Amino acid sequence: MFADLRQSISDWIFRAAVPETPPVTLVQRRIFILPTRQGYTFGFTTLILLVASINYALSLGFILTFLLMSMAGVAMLHTWRNLAHLKLRPGRCDPVFAGETAHFGVTVETPSLTRFAIAVRRKDEEPVYADVVQSEIAAIALPVAASRRGVMSCGRLEIFTRYPVGLFHAWSYVDFNLQVIVYPRPDTAAGTPPAQSRSASEEGIPVAGDEEFHMLRPYRPGDAPKLIAWKALAREQGLLSKEFSAMASSELWIDYEEARSSNLEQRLSMLCHWVLTADRFGQSYGLRLPAAAIPPSRGDAHRTRCLEALALFQGSGAGP
Amino acid sequence: MRSVPASPHLDVRNVMWLLAAMVFVVAPHLLRMPYWIAVFFLAIVAWRGWVAWAAMHFPGRFVTTTLTIAAAIATFFTYNRIVGREAGVALLVVMSALKLLEMKTQREVTLSIYLGFFLVLTNFLFSQTIPLGIYMLVCVWIFIGTMVGFNRIGSSPTLIERMRPAGALLAQALPLMVAFFILFPRAAGPLWALPTDTRSATSGLSDSMAPGNISNLIKSDAIAFRVQFAGDRPAYSTLYWRGPVLTQFDGVTWSLSPDKSLGYPSTYARALKPTSYTVTLEPHNKTWLFALDVPALVPPDSLLLHDLQLRTPDQRPVRDRKRYEMTSYLDYRYGASTPRGPLREALRFDETRNPRTIALGRRWARESGNTREVLQKAFQYFNREFTYTLEPPPLDSRDPYDSFLFETKQGFCEHYAGSFALAMRAAEIPARIVTGYQGGEINPLNNELVVRQADAHAWVEIWLPDQGWLRVDPTAAVSPLRIESGVNAALGPIGVLPRLIAADPLGVLAGIRDAWRAMNSQWDAWVVGYSMDRQRQLFSELGFPGIDWRALGLWLMVATFAVGAAISIGLLVRDRPRRDEPSLAAWNRFCAKLAAAGVAPRAPHEGPLDFLRRVESSRSELAAAAHDITQRYVQARYGAGATREELRELARRVREFRPA
Repeated sequence: MFADLRQSISDWIFRAAVPETPPVTLVQRRIFILPTRQGYTFGFTTLILLVASINYALSLGFILTFLLMSMAGVAMLHTWRNLAHLKLRPGRCDPVFAGETAHFGVTVETPSLTRFAIAVRRKDEEPVYADVVQSEIAAIALPVAASRRGVMSCGRLEIFTRYPVGLFHAWSYVDFNLQVIVYPRPDTAAGTPPAQSRSASEEGIPVAGDEEFHMLRPYRPGDAPKLIAWKALAREQGLLSKEFSAMASSELWIDYEEARSSNLEQRLSMLCHWVLTADRFGQSYGLRLPAAAIPPSRGDAHRTRCLEALALFQGSGAGP
Repeated sequence: MRSVPASPHLDVRNVMWLLAAMVFVVAPHLLRMPYWIAVFFLAIVAWRGWVAWAAMHFPGRFVTTTLTIAAAIATFFTYNRIVGREAGVALLVVMSALKLLEMKTQREVTLSIYLGFFLVLTNFLFSQTIPLGIYMLVCVWIFIGTMVGFNRIGSSPTLIERMRPAGALLAQALPLMVAFFILFPRAAGPLWALPTDTRSATSGLSDSMAPGNISNLIKSDAIAFRVQFAGDRPAYSTLYWRGPVLTQFDGVTWSLSPDKSLGYPSTYARALKPTSYTVTLEPHNKTWLFALDVPALVPPDSLLLHDLQLRTPDQRPVRDRKRYEMTSYLDYRYGASTPRGPLREALRFDETRNPRTIALGRRWARESGNTREVLQKAFQYFNREFTYTLEPPPLDSRDPYDSFLFETKQGFCEHYAGSFALAMRAAEIPARIVTGYQGGEINPLNNELVVRQADAHAWVEIWLPDQGWLRVDPTAAVSPLRIESGVNAALGPIGVLPRLIAADPLGVLAGIRDAWRAMNSQWDAWVVGYSMDRQRQLFSELGFPGIDWRALGLWLMVATFAVGAAISIGLLVRDRPRRDEPSLAAWNRFCAKLAAAGVAPRAPHEGPLDFLRRVESSRSELAAAAHDITQRYVQARYGAGATREELRELARRVREFRPA
């Protein structure tokens, strides 16, 4: 109850349009500043120094006390300045497989001097620190364990600093609505795509591994390196790719129905592994899901399209 | 529960910085503390450094607890107490070392740094000189540099990257610090009773005199007090600064009279040549004040005893620097009507000790018709074969004055004064010893007279029925130079610096010394001695008499805001985006006008010529003007550049460009 109230007050104070259009510049009114616990302890320390100076009538003690107090005041301005006018943009948020570590990327630029120890963190997570140098772009990547398939949202980011002396915590919030696509965890035990999955093709059924060499054809962008005919290249015959009979003659359909498991995630894991296997062999493959089908093709873009379809797949029913 | 990760910022370099800062700040303490504390502190710090350097394990809880208890007990047995200045600071030093030893987290680092600030303050309990102040400022700087290092998370700063931000913080804090120092209302006294040893027993005259005490004092270069004369400075030989008057005598030691009745300047029979001056007395932990012979008025907060000894009321020792205004009569006659009691006291001596001195005095009395002849004989005697020296041979402990007068014949002012006064008493002339200082040293830069412990002196007052008490200085008979020009002239320079200065014919060193002393005097008066009185004086001189804490608080707030605003502006100015080049500014205005006229705004990837092509195709009526402006812009910015006139022309054409 109290936590809810605090949360809503905090949302009201720190409200910001979500998502924000990059770049976001940390202007004056976006930056908040409060003393840290160290800062409060420091205040207490100067208070004791002051009392001691008064009591012992120590003029140099007064000088020390006032110097430290003024230093703290100046440090507040410096801490605030360390954050002010930074320019933030969304950074790389590369897709990952479930079980790997995803990274939410933010880039930071400074308009003037180097800003040291700029930290970015998600709510309740460990911050990541970076020094932001003038006319360079500092890329900050927040590691998050991607445990579940799907779309992982970063949520609101806190960018803060305590530099130079740690007495004050200056912070600002920014929400770029960063998202990472988490592919299913590949099920390496799923083996090669089942033979009957090629039912859609009219011809014979070479299983991965016993394809026969068919011909050499000119290299097409996207061909796997292992298909390149390096010997031909060495003979200066140009960049050629090997083509196998299975590829030439048939198209592989990776079908949801073929992945036999009672568990939806398990099925998707198997499909994921098959997609990766087919891609590794340079096989042309298609993906058939209950709601949609991706026609056979090959290459990185095709692979990404298939994996995304698996990542975003919403199973209506848990299969047969 | 969230686990707190082992702090990653406790890297070796930061820890080493902190350890170095601690050693620096404690060093002045270690020099004055017992040997074992220095060894203990440095050993523990070295241990901690080793733990950080070699990534060793920290000592266990049992070890640290044992060390803590052992150190506390050792401190107690060294000082026989645990409170008070010396013992308290020793304990703080020892415990801060142990705190460093078990420092593992960022939080403990912070506490250690704050402890370091306390250690800076404790140094000021012992000394508040300019060199120590500068040294401690450097220590604070290093501590702040350490804080910067601990907050540079993710990268290890270089020396400059530590000290520059720390220096900037301190430099920008200076104006506000000065404002606070001047404006913060000062309290009249301590908030609670201070331990008795808050101020160390400083050297100075004691309340008794035996052969040997003053010559020990003379080796000290410490300042006793400073004097600023209101008018002309009196002749050097008349500068007798009167301190404790010693009437009681036990054969060896002269001590204060138990009679504490008051004396009154109004009873002086002659009071001429008044001289006004201000004395700034260094704390000496004793109750007396010093004034030129003889005090003409009693400053507030002091008493004048019947033997013209000036002292604080209520036996309160002088623990802080004290300033008082005085007037003295240099030409005077007083005490002709001294009652019989004090006179009898001034004639008393122990018959059984120093028999030859007593016999000498009696012989002078027998052989003379009047007091004047006795004095003449005495002066002739001292003038004959005595030597003035700081290093007299040791004297007989039972009859020291006999042994001085008839055997060694080498001595210092207290030998002459003591034996002279004893001989006078034997001759039935009331006599007493006056101790104090004689002379001083003028600083030509600020015309201030500095009286040092080295100027300590003892002389004799005798009483004559028609004239009262008269000053007689037997040292003058032996070494007139001492009285005319000071102790350095009489004995040769004492110490290294005076020797160097004496050997410097151009007076460069003497000039530096004078400047240094003048600076110290200002420092002591306006910084160290900045008290409630000084604050009031300053503000009334500035034209704000009777300022109270409310007004001071208001001024403080104004100062805080002014300084804060100045620093903020200074910080923000550096962040201000650079002003656009004139050509770019004109081009941007041109684009804005087109956008206002309905042309789709220029996309970020669209170059000026691409944009121009789009404008020409979509708005043919603007093509000519747009072409002209774009060409001029491209030439100014990407081409050969533009002269001032061409830029002005570009701006004019943009101004006159009116897309409908």
